[in-house]
Amino acid sequence: MASQRIGELDFSEPYGIHHRINNPSSSLINDQGSGFDFGELEEAIGLQGVKIRNDETKASFFTGKPAATLEMFPSWPMRFHQSSIGGTNNKSGGESSDSALSSKNENPFEPESPLSKKASSFCSSDQLQHLQLQQDMTNNNDVIKTASSPKSAHEKRKGGGSTSDNKPLDAKTLRRLAQNREAARKSRLRKKAYVQQLESSRLKLTQLEQDLQRARSQGMFMDWSGGVGSNISSGAMFDMEYARWLEEDNRLLTELRNGLEAALSDNEMRVMVEGYLCHYDEVFRVKGVTAKADVFHVINGGWTSQAERCFLWIGGFRPSEIIMMLIQQLEAVAEQQIMGMYGLRHSSQQAEEALSQGLDQLQQSVVDTIAGAPLVDGVQQMVVAVGKLANLEGFLRQADNLRQQTLHQLCRLLTVRQAARSFLVIGEYYARLRALSSLWASRSRDQTIITSDENSCQTTTDMQMLQPSHNHFSSF
Amino acid sequence: MNQEKLMHYQVDPWNYYMMRVRRRRMEEEDEMERVMRIVSESAVVIFSSSSCCMCHAMKSLFCGMGVNTMVHELDQDSKGKQMEKTLMRLLATNSTTLPVVFIGGKLVGSMDTLLAFHVNGSLVPLLKQAGALWL
Repeated sequence: MASQRIGELDFSEPYGIHHRINNPSSSLINDQGSGFDFGELEEAIGLQGVKIRNDETKASFFTGKPAATLEMFPSWPMRFHQSSIGGTNNKSGGESSDSALSSKNENPFEPESPLSKKASSFCSSDQLQHLQLQQDMTNNNDVIKTASSPKSAHEKRKGGGSTSDNKPLDAKTLRRLAQNREAARKSRLRKKAYVQQLESSRLKLTQLEQDLQRARSQGMFMDWSGGVGSNISSGAMFDMEYARWLEEDNRLLTELRNGLEAALSDNEMRVMVEGYLCHYDEVFRVKGVTAKADVFHVINGGWTSQAERCFLWIGGFRPSEIIMMLIQQLEAVAEQQIMGMYGLRHSSQQAEEALSQGLDQLQQSVVDTIAGAPLVDGVQQMVVAVGKLANLEGFLRQADNLRQQTLHQLCRLLTVRQAARSFLVIGEYYARLRALSSLWASRSRDQTIITSDENSCQTTTDMQMLQPSHNHFSSF
Repeated sequence: MNQEKLMHYQVDPWNYYMMRVRRRRMEEEDEMERVMRIVSESAVVIFSSSSCCMCHAMKSLFCGMGVNTMVHELDQDSKGKQMEKTLMRLLATNSTTLPVVFIGGKLVGSMDTLLAFHVNGSLVPLLKQAGALWL
């Protein structure tokens, strides 16, 4: 190649080689169209890659090319560019996104037709552009950049064509070309950054949607620091959680009942009883957690049925009442156990009394604080009152603690079977209390419209619900 | 004395630091001794605050059982803050702990432990042993 003389054209070797090597790549380019496969191009370009780095050779080569030859191979310089692009493509591996590839697919073909028009203007000024382009490509590994480089090369060529100056090192042209390059590079980088930002936020969005869906479907009630369910109030969350606890409760009670009827061994029953105690521990824990967020909802019993709410004591059942009910309902209880249960009832009564008195004093204190506030500016008093109300949570916690301790002590006093039976009694009692609430609600609804005969019919279904449970109740 | 301290600090920082630590430990021990002295004076000692409602609940509980208790209102004591800190250290907790009860000179704890003991049935024997309850 170096031996080639200016003005002479040696068709045989250089062109031939390039033509041969160009053919597979050109056929690839022509055949595949938009589905440009750079992988296959690699091999074809591999050979050319050696030639790309040889600047001087190319320079001398182009200097000696007359216009006639160009007309014969109008797209040859473009091929050369494409191959060099492909070469740098190989260098910069798997960085390209689909969009970049598709844009690249358009670009190589686009300058082709105008290039053929410009074939006549192809002169030594193009040699300069080739040099600059090659330098760019060796300097820059950016794939997207190389996709647009044919375009910029095309622009350069246009610019080169407009200047009738033959001198390759025109300062103005140089500066303009450099500025063009810079602008193109900057815009490409900006586009890349924007696309990356879009992708990451899309991923985040899908993840958030998944989390939300999961939380909604499960009604998750984890620690509040996570911020799950910011739209759902803590009271509503607790109601959902309590409903699930009730279902679990029903399931466990059915298991206990079946276990008693099947006369399972003591160990197995003990396992079930322990499991049921844990079940109660769970509801106390959840109540404690909710109370930190919304103490009034728990203490006022918004999560209970109406009848339950009427007989509520500090957000739950009164342990001494439950013990009394058990003493009356349980059969086959030894003397010592009955004494123990009376003692337990007595202790819990004293504790309940103490807590009630403490709560009364709290109420008195809050009322005094608010009532004593001056009409105009009672902000200070309100702040103090709010601080006092914070003690409510403590009372609720102590009340739940008392309930929990009472249940545990009950299990210690009684045998395993008796403990299982007492859980069934308690569960039954609450089921009836809830049925009573719904009965009452339907009775007051129907009273105004229907006669007494139909009234009894309306309530039959609720009565039927009570019947089978009543049988179980009496068997204990 | 201050001049001495300053010179110590300038000359020997480590020793000065150790001196400070030792002094704080001595103060803490003094406080602990004071608390121990108070609780050994009566069978049942309650550390409470006059404005706290849970303290009132605890006092009512003992009253209902017929137990005479000695109550220390820490908000009316000049060294109340320090004693509260000592109690917090005893209970190994960082939150405000009142009320705290000692029976027979031994630490029982806060309201929840007291209720647990009572429901257990172990509170009455404890009181009898301390001589606070006769039946």
